[in-house]
Amino acid sequence: MSDTHHIRRRTPARRGSRPAAAAVLLSSLFLSGCATFSPDAGMGVVAGVAGETIKKDVISIKTQDDALRADGAVKSLLRRSLTVDSAVQVALLSNRGLQAAYNELALAETDLVADTLPPNPTFSISRISGSGAVEIERQIVGDILALATLPFRSEIARQRFQKVQLRAAEETLRLAADVRRAYYRAVAANELVGLLTDAKSTAESTAQLAGKLGETGSLNKLDQAREQVFYAETTADLATIRQEATSSRERLIRLLGLWDGDVAIKLPQRLPVLPRRPLSLPGIEVDAVTHRIDLQIARIELGALAKSLDLTQASRFVTMIDVAGIDRKTRDPEGPPFRERGFDVQFQIPIYDGGEVRVRQAAETYNQSFNLLTEKAVNVRSEARNAFRVYRSTYDIAGHYQREVLPLRKIISDEMQLRFGSMQVDVFALLTEARQRIAALRAAIEAKRDFWLAQSELQTAVNGGGRGESQPENRSSTTAQASGGGGH
Amino acid sequence: MLSRRNFLGTATALAGAAAITGRAQAASIPEAPTMEKVTMQPPLHPTSGPDYNPVVTLNGWTLPWRMNGDWKEFHLVAEPVEREFAEGMKAHLWGYNGQSPGPTIETVEGDKVRIFVTNKLPEHTTVHWHGVILPAGMDGVGGLSQPHIPPGKTFVYEFEMKHSGTFMYHPHSDEMVQMAMGMMGMIVVHPRDKSFRPVDRDFVFIMSSYDIDPGTYLPKVTEMTNFNMWAWNSRVFPGIDPLAVRLGDRVRVRMGNLTMTNHPIHLHGHNFAVSCTDGGWVPESAQWPEVTSDIPVGAIRAFDFTADNPGDWAFHCHKSHHTMNSMGHDVRNLIGVNKKDLAKVLGKLAPDAMVMGTTGGAMGEMEMPMPDNTLPMMTGSGQFGPIEMGGMFTVMKIREGLARDDYKDPGPYDFPKGTVAYEVEAPQSTAPRQVNDKTKAKPAAPQEMKGINMKGMKGMKGM
Repeated sequence: MSDTHHIRRRTPARRGSRPAAAAVLLSSLFLSGCATFSPDAGMGVVAGVAGETIKKDVISIKTQDDALRADGAVKSLLRRSLTVDSAVQVALLSNRGLQAAYNELALAETDLVADTLPPNPTFSISRISGSGAVEIERQIVGDILALATLPFRSEIARQRFQKVQLRAAEETLRLAADVRRAYYRAVAANELVGLLTDAKSTAESTAQLAGKLGETGSLNKLDQAREQVFYAETTADLATIRQEATSSRERLIRLLGLWDGDVAIKLPQRLPVLPRRPLSLPGIEVDAVTHRIDLQIARIELGALAKSLDLTQASRFVTMIDVAGIDRKTRDPEGPPFRERGFDVQFQIPIYDGGEVRVRQAAETYNQSFNLLTEKAVNVRSEARNAFRVYRSTYDIAGHYQREVLPLRKIISDEMQLRFGSMQVDVFALLTEARQRIAALRAAIEAKRDFWLAQSELQTAVNGGGRGESQPENRSSTTAQASGGGGH
Repeated sequence: MLSRRNFLGTATALAGAAAITGRAQAASIPEAPTMEKVTMQPPLHPTSGPDYNPVVTLNGWTLPWRMNGDWKEFHLVAEPVEREFAEGMKAHLWGYNGQSPGPTIETVEGDKVRIFVTNKLPEHTTVHWHGVILPAGMDGVGGLSQPHIPPGKTFVYEFEMKHSGTFMYHPHSDEMVQMAMGMMGMIVVHPRDKSFRPVDRDFVFIMSSYDIDPGTYLPKVTEMTNFNMWAWNSRVFPGIDPLAVRLGDRVRVRMGNLTMTNHPIHLHGHNFAVSCTDGGWVPESAQWPEVTSDIPVGAIRAFDFTADNPGDWAFHCHKSHHTMNSMGHDVRNLIGVNKKDLAKVLGKLAPDAMVMGTTGGAMGEMEMPMPDNTLPMMTGSGQFGPIEMGGMFTVMKIREGLARDDYKDPGPYDFPKGTVAYEVEAPQSTAPRQVNDKTKAKPAAPQEMKGINMKGMKGMKGM
């Protein structure tokens, strides 16, 4: 309003009752558009999304009571060994970054409420006196245009708020996805630590046997070194994996938002077994396009833009109107004081650009948004397809390890034991075999981890909250690991 | 024991055919009898032609024949066979008339023999009559003295057995593969004069070796040295029948060697003399006493002795690996390693495996789970416990009062009281020994012999 120029005109106060009528009319208008603070600070949508897509509770912690309730829930979840679901739940309850995002939401609501209130009227009193004459002018100025467009603007604000709500929901999903990823990585690292701990103890005792055979004179230095190098390598491997396990656990703890006393989380020693059969999702692209939160946000953005474009066109020629009710008292020294009443309307006419600039701006912004939305939809479909294919292929690979590689390794292991028992092979041939078995088990664990990560990505691809393209994991291959084992 | 049904049936048919045309008789082929059993079959006494004292083939049999005019007619069928090496292990071999080795061919000095050979193998073959003096065109060297016998065809060999003695037959056609697959058999030509160096019991067998990986059924035909089945008549101990002998019998054992190495064959409890090779009879004046006779590759030895010492006598090849069954050749010596240490390793590597070899190779009566189709390395048990033998090993069982043709296992020897080695009461670890200063001065106690220590790994241990 400060940039508007007032063109004042004095008009007789013939129709003194008009401003009051307009005020009534206007008040009825803006009351309908007026928003109030919601009791949940806009968390309803977030809770809905979280409940529907990941089946979890969310809470915006505002009071001491909330904090106690969340803390209690977290504590009881942490008492047991974490599952991926309980990990996500803990994170949703205690990750402070997520709480900050919910605070953002609450802040956005304040904007919404502010935007849906009618403009405050401006009161002005001027008193001019000189040489006995006094002129007192009282004015109430209200931005009528602002008032007139209030329903429009409040609608836009509402949509903006909805967008912020979806953003908060997206943050929630993103945190859940991050937790899932971190969880699977941490558990996989745990499982690998278990495997390599066994391997190390096997390698240790065979290395000791090699040393003993050196003492009895059955093994030369060359062969002793060959037998002991596996121990040395496994020890190094185990150290690396332990460090990975610690790091991934810490990452999980960060995402869970745990502090001090709660960090002693219990993680299972093994990844969950593969599902009996993989999901078959023929409608995955449609699902993704319907559910993806980022797409919903983009759609709302576009809707809001469309609304604001209408608004721009409606107010194309008259951009801003100030209506002022004027009540003026003048006391002339020569005559008796008289009263004047009237009103004052000020408006700006965009005579230079004809409003065209703003219309063009709005139109191009709209087109841009529309194209971006379309692009996003194309990407979402592609991402969904890709995520599903990755999910299927990682399932097949992990299943292949479970159904083919490991049973074959078991047969080899059994047969080698039989051959050892019937003195066909040396004890160190068993070690060579054990090395290959460990490599296969390791590859199987990594394949299973990749499946669970892919499954998590699939959820993200359908619901949103992802971080774009994820890098494929490096999987150690059986043959690479096992080579150089038994060349003696 | 053998299916004579076809054999006799054909003979009848032949008689009918002979009535019509004389040529048909010569042209027709006798059916080939076949054998399924792997145990030693009783001797086949001659029912026509000159008489002789027949041999007994160890875990084998003698090929029946028919007389056709003055000709003794035999029919060998070269074919794939399945042979059991000992209980628990079968091999897919090539042989003759259902068995590998093929049946023993017995004739008499001066016999005119006509041997039909039908090839039911997937490739061509011939039969070479090893050691028999015959016309060059009957020698059976494919390409050199005759065309190879194509699959499905029958060739006939006709010659006179000019010399008595012990001979072999085997292919001379893709020899390496066919002999490695078990194609071989023995020929015994008895002297026409029954009083020429007669014996009461006449055993015959052929030695062969195979490399059959545990769990497989076909021998590796390209193996030259690392065989794991050292066999007598394609059987290994405890699959080899004992040689039952009546106390006081004159005994002859005829052995052919078609392995790729020599075999010092050793008989316990007796001395003997080599009486015959594939070259002929050794003059009695030239024989010298032995308890072990070394039998070269591609040769025959027969030794004679009088079984005058009753008991169960080991009879075996003296190459100790040849009295073992399937075993790995790249196995480290674990003697001197604490059993507990090894058990610790094995508990992790092979939870079901047993610890052995830390004091030696003796496995006693341990029953090991084994891969399919293979035999324990050493096995067999006697009345005092495990015999711990395999391969080319069996027992000569000399007993009083066996019947003439009784070759059944007479069971374990009933040792007369006080004739078995026994434990004496002696405090342990105080066996009087001469103190040897030299060994005392030796510094290298096992504990001081350094292997690689674990220094390099100590730093990592805590991880």
